[in-house]
Amino acid sequence: MKYRKTVLFSIVVFLSLLLIVPPLFAQEKEIRIGVLYPLSGAAATIGRDLQRAAELTAEIINNKTPGVDIPMAQWAGIPNLGGAKIKLIFADHRGEPDRGADLAKRLILDDKVVGLMGAYHSSVTKTVSAVAERYGIPMINDSSTSPELTKRGLKWFWRTTPHDDIFNKDLFELLKGLTEGKVKGVKAIPKDQLKNVAYACENTEWGSSVAKSIEGFAKEYGFNITKKILYNANSPDLTSEAKALVSVKPDVMLFASYLSDSLLMIRTLKGMKASTNFFWGQDAGFEMADFVKTLGTDTNGVLTRTVFIAKIAKVKKVAGQVNALYKEKYGDDLTGATARSVVGVQTWAYVLNKAGSTDPKAIQKACNEINIPANDLVMPWAGVKFDATGQNILGRGLIGQYQKTKEGMIDLEIIYPFELATANMIYPFPGWK
Amino acid sequence: MTLIDALLQGILMGLLFALVALGLNIIFGVMNIVNFAHGEFLMIGMYTTYWTSLLLDIDPLLTLPVAALVGVLLGIASYYSLIRYLLRGPAIAQLFGTFGLMLFLRYLAQFLFGIDYRIIQKGLLIGKSLSIGPFIFDWTKLAAGILSLFAFAFVYYFLNKTKTGKALQATSINKEAASYMGIKTDKMNAIAWAIGGGTVGIAGGLLANFYYVYPTIGILFVMIAFACVALGGFGSIKGVFFAGLLVGILEMVFPVFGSLVNSDFLGPHFKFTIVYLTYFIIVVFRPQGLFGWKN
Repeated sequence: MKYRKTVLFSIVVFLSLLLIVPPLFAQEKEIRIGVLYPLSGAAATIGRDLQRAAELTAEIINNKTPGVDIPMAQWAGIPNLGGAKIKLIFADHRGEPDRGADLAKRLILDDKVVGLMGAYHSSVTKTVSAVAERYGIPMINDSSTSPELTKRGLKWFWRTTPHDDIFNKDLFELLKGLTEGKVKGVKAIPKDQLKNVAYACENTEWGSSVAKSIEGFAKEYGFNITKKILYNANSPDLTSEAKALVSVKPDVMLFASYLSDSLLMIRTLKGMKASTNFFWGQDAGFEMADFVKTLGTDTNGVLTRTVFIAKIAKVKKVAGQVNALYKEKYGDDLTGATARSVVGVQTWAYVLNKAGSTDPKAIQKACNEINIPANDLVMPWAGVKFDATGQNILGRGLIGQYQKTKEGMIDLEIIYPFELATANMIYPFPGWK
Repeated sequence: MTLIDALLQGILMGLLFALVALGLNIIFGVMNIVNFAHGEFLMIGMYTTYWTSLLLDIDPLLTLPVAALVGVLLGIASYYSLIRYLLRGPAIAQLFGTFGLMLFLRYLAQFLFGIDYRIIQKGLLIGKSLSIGPFIFDWTKLAAGILSLFAFAFVYYFLNKTKTGKALQATSINKEAASYMGIKTDKMNAIAWAIGGGTVGIAGGLLANFYYVYPTIGILFVMIAFACVALGGFGSIKGVFFAGLLVGILEMVFPVFGSLVNSDFLGPHFKFTIVYLTYFIIVVFRPQGLFGWKN
């Protein structure tokens, strides 16, 4: 009897131990990173795409991925952290800065994330990074391009993507190149064909800063701004904005728009039979997969600045490899926005590996010292290396043009930098006949 | 000339805004209920036109009866499955109830159709413009404005010249007195929801000819619809018509005027500020709205 009691007691003790002990040794070590994207509301489409790209990158890091010639694809976890897996915890900020700040706090305090990533909208990134700074938690921003974000003296904020000043300089270099005959397939254009510039930018943090930057570069490069429009991206109607643009008969039309307003603007301009010589969009809405899917051949001749174009695979093998994985899984090519998400998660992995710890101070030091070589990136960049403000100084932009193929499909061709051009530029903008 | 052009464009958009707001106003007029799901009814009207034209390969304008029918059925279904029960509770329950309906329809659309933006690519009027002298009109907007006017005229005729319409108005003015006269309140409520759903379904169908559709599109238009209802007068059909026109004209003319006088204050980013400012001024001096007759 006594023996049976002892056995029973031993079994109970053993089972109790099983309940307590497993987390100590059986659970796979994971590193939590909070990722804030707009997953619902008007920007839900881009949020979904960014999430997909981030998840795919985490999969590449966490599992051995044959066929991708980047060292991290063979890591199967973070090597210097005992093979710990990256776990991305997504939060939906809906494009609302105050909600972004609340979510950042929740991710830090409740989910105990080691760091943050996101948030796409510059206005949200601004509030989220302020929360990260307050709590001393590192934030790597993959996709917000307002130049102001890295001018605030933050110690816990790093940005991998080039910002709008860099992109806008590219734009004016392209305009200058057109007048100098440097653009593939286009003879030198007299400057008076491109002199009058009109812009329409959405009026949040991002669009306003693009507008300011365009004005600065226009002055520097000797172009006249004949119409300046800041508008509400959530406006149900953009007819008055389009009318105001068309009224000055601009040679060059520039836009900073998210997806919904870029679609509406083009449809509205088309209805007005608007014409111009040069039609350019500042990334965001203009370079999303849904932009072409929705507007189809109405995008023919539209230029967009970006950081990734699938055709870059011709000169960069890893870009093609990762793009193929993404396309196989989700049916679309990577875009500038989604490729930036890939680089964001990748940078987190490299930083964690360099830090060899999840201590915020160690991560901060690793961020400040990181130097990711160009060959490891899907982007046509010289690498990832941050300056004292937290800005990646090795990034660069591309300018692409949507061009209708013989089969009636739309391809995004590289136009700038001139040495990477994959097609002759369509000039002037063909309009909507 | 630019101002006249803006005025004409404003009238076209205003007619559509008025049609969107019409159903909201009828429901409010008859039942004193604010339908927060009205924008989602519009979204469903847009999806109906999008999918019907795509799957049956017909012109989107020909799908308008389908959009209207879906709107009518949605209105009736909403009334009999939800609103009728909410009427037994306090006013706050009605507010939360229609708010819940809004979320349900929005996320149902997201579940069924995904979050992608969709635009109708093919259609008799799509991508075509009409030039009259210096004025250029997008045919889809022109058709939307004209057909909105017809839809409005039809509803106005129905409410003022038919027995059912007059019964509806009687219920709107005094529910109890109307029921003493033998008018069935429950039936009138259902008809109000059917007209509300049907008109906004048509508005959605017209809008889908030149506008993209996605699950949360309703919120963009329902705010304007609320402003039109309050501006024109709660329950007033004439009021919502002129309020819609006023909103359309203001949002179109002011930015163009601002552009002509080179004023930043009258720039496009302030256009709805002007609309809502006008609304505030009118409700301060005429709390019942321009044509309101209800306390």
